[in-house]
Amino acid sequence: MTLLRVEHVDKSYGDEEVLHDVSFEMQRQDVEVIVGPSGSGKSTLLRCVNRLTEIDDGAIYLDGEEIHALDENELRRRVGMVFQDFNLFAHRTARGNVTLGLRQVLGMPREEAEATADDYLERVGLADQAESYPAELSGGQQQRVGIARALAMEPELILFDEPTSALDPELIGEVLSVMRDLADEGTTMLCVTHEMGFARSAASRITFLDDGRIVERGPPETLFEDPEHERTRAFLGELAGIQ
Amino acid sequence: MDPVLLQASDWQFVLENWQFLLLGTVVTVLLTATSLGLGFLTGFPAGAIEVYGSGRLQAAVSTAGVVLRGTPIVVLIVLFFFGLPLPRLGTVPLLEVDLKAFVAATLALGLRSAAYQAQVFRGAIQSIGEGQMEAARSIGMSERQAIQHVIFPQAIRRSIPGFQNEFTIVLKDTSVAFAIGLAELLTRAEQLYLQPGRDTAVMEVLIAISAVYFVLTFTTNRTLDYLNEVYAVPGGNE
Ligand SMILES: Nc1ncnc2c1ncn2[C@@H]1O[C@H](COP(=O)(O)OP(=O)(O)OP(=O)(O)O)[C@@H](O)[C@H]1O
Ligand SMILES: [Mg+2]
Repeated sequence: MTLLRVEHVDKSYGDEEVLHDVSFEMQRQDVEVIVGPSGSGKSTLLRCVNRLTEIDDGAIYLDGEEIHALDENELRRRVGMVFQDFNLFAHRTARGNVTLGLRQVLGMPREEAEATADDYLERVGLADQAESYPAELSGGQQQRVGIARALAMEPELILFDEPTSALDPELIGEVLSVMRDLADEGTTMLCVTHEMGFARSAASRITFLDDGRIVERGPPETLFEDPEHERTRAFLGELAGIQ
Repeated sequence: MDPVLLQASDWQFVLENWQFLLLGTVVTVLLTATSLGLGFLTGFPAGAIEVYGSGRLQAAVSTAGVVLRGTPIVVLIVLFFFGLPLPRLGTVPLLEVDLKAFVAATLALGLRSAAYQAQVFRGAIQSIGEGQMEAARSIGMSERQAIQHVIFPQAIRRSIPGFQNEFTIVLKDTSVAFAIGLAELLTRAEQLYLQPGRDTAVMEVLIAISAVYFVLTFTTNRTLDYLNEVYAVPGGNE
């Protein structure tokens, strides 16, 4: 069943066209990985989906409803986001980061929110860090709190914008392993990531974005083994070479 | 008479009048409290309006700030005392405080402090990274909720050093209420050494009240430092 449909989306900043006629569809439980060079519009595309950025043209449908017909807060409750820089609320503990949305957005009573938060922290392997403040956590732990915070809202789709790029290499694994578990459990995920191991094993589809356009899109086997475009081969080859 | 500095008899005179000076100290403390209170209650929203407001309200707030910060405090206090249509409010017995003068002084010191506190708070809000707002919005919080639950709590913590600074300034500046005869510490000090034959005690009286100002600033700052530590959040000031 189609959960997300992006249709002919255009987006410019001033004279610079950042997204050009971007269209694709995701089914429930899909894991879509977006790759592309720096500045190709990956973050912009993700941000258009939860309306942190507004599109200029085209349409985006979540479960059949055009997202601009929805209340933006309602949309964002249904579409979670995980950031490259984690963006944890610095003044709140790990638990407090997760409870804030539960309390303020969902109106959950305190005790229920705390119990729920602890469940999600446990799911990302941080049951013992519930009382820690972000500054007391490693990058990998912070990002897992970020994931728990997004998950706790029970979104239909989660956007990941390079969730491991800010991490030291030895901390990447713990975050990817959480993401892999989510994928296995059937979470619908739209991920910008250059972790090719994750893409190969977890992605239902990979989209290669260059200069605001979708160059090629397909299952990982096709893109890695037999891409249609030379540019795709070159880019993925380079990524694989780096790792 | 040759005013010999710091003679024992003049210190004796200060000691004899400790109660008289204590009443002035009470007025100074009260005036500091009302002024800082007014400054906080006005300055805090004003800082928020400077960041999040728009249109005429924002323009009005920032103009008021520029005017208040650009006017000497003595001028403000005299202007408010003689210029505002404040009713005669009578005098508080014992403290011998003219209520009209007290209100005028509170308005002048309070609003001037508000203008500075607004800057402190504005700067603190602007120092909070964009990502905090985005993260709050991304879980479905409204802008209002995000400001209230994510931005303000962090901005207030970052404002504490600036507020602390403001406290010291306001405490010492209460002495300009001297210009409108309000019976605070400096005014009472003057009343002492202007008594006939007491002009030798000017230095002693002024040193004594300076010590009072110092003790008040020092102990309050230490208390605030302590509270700051107790309520600190790891990494909260980065
Ligand atoms: N708010 C903005 N205002 C102006 N230009 C912007 C803005 N956000 C992004 N851009 C521009 O849009 C282009 C695409 O940016 P975007 O962040 O989407 O790229 P990206 O693929 O995520 O890159 P990276 O891999 O570096 O994160 C870039 O040229 C960027 O400079
Ligand atoms: Mg990006």
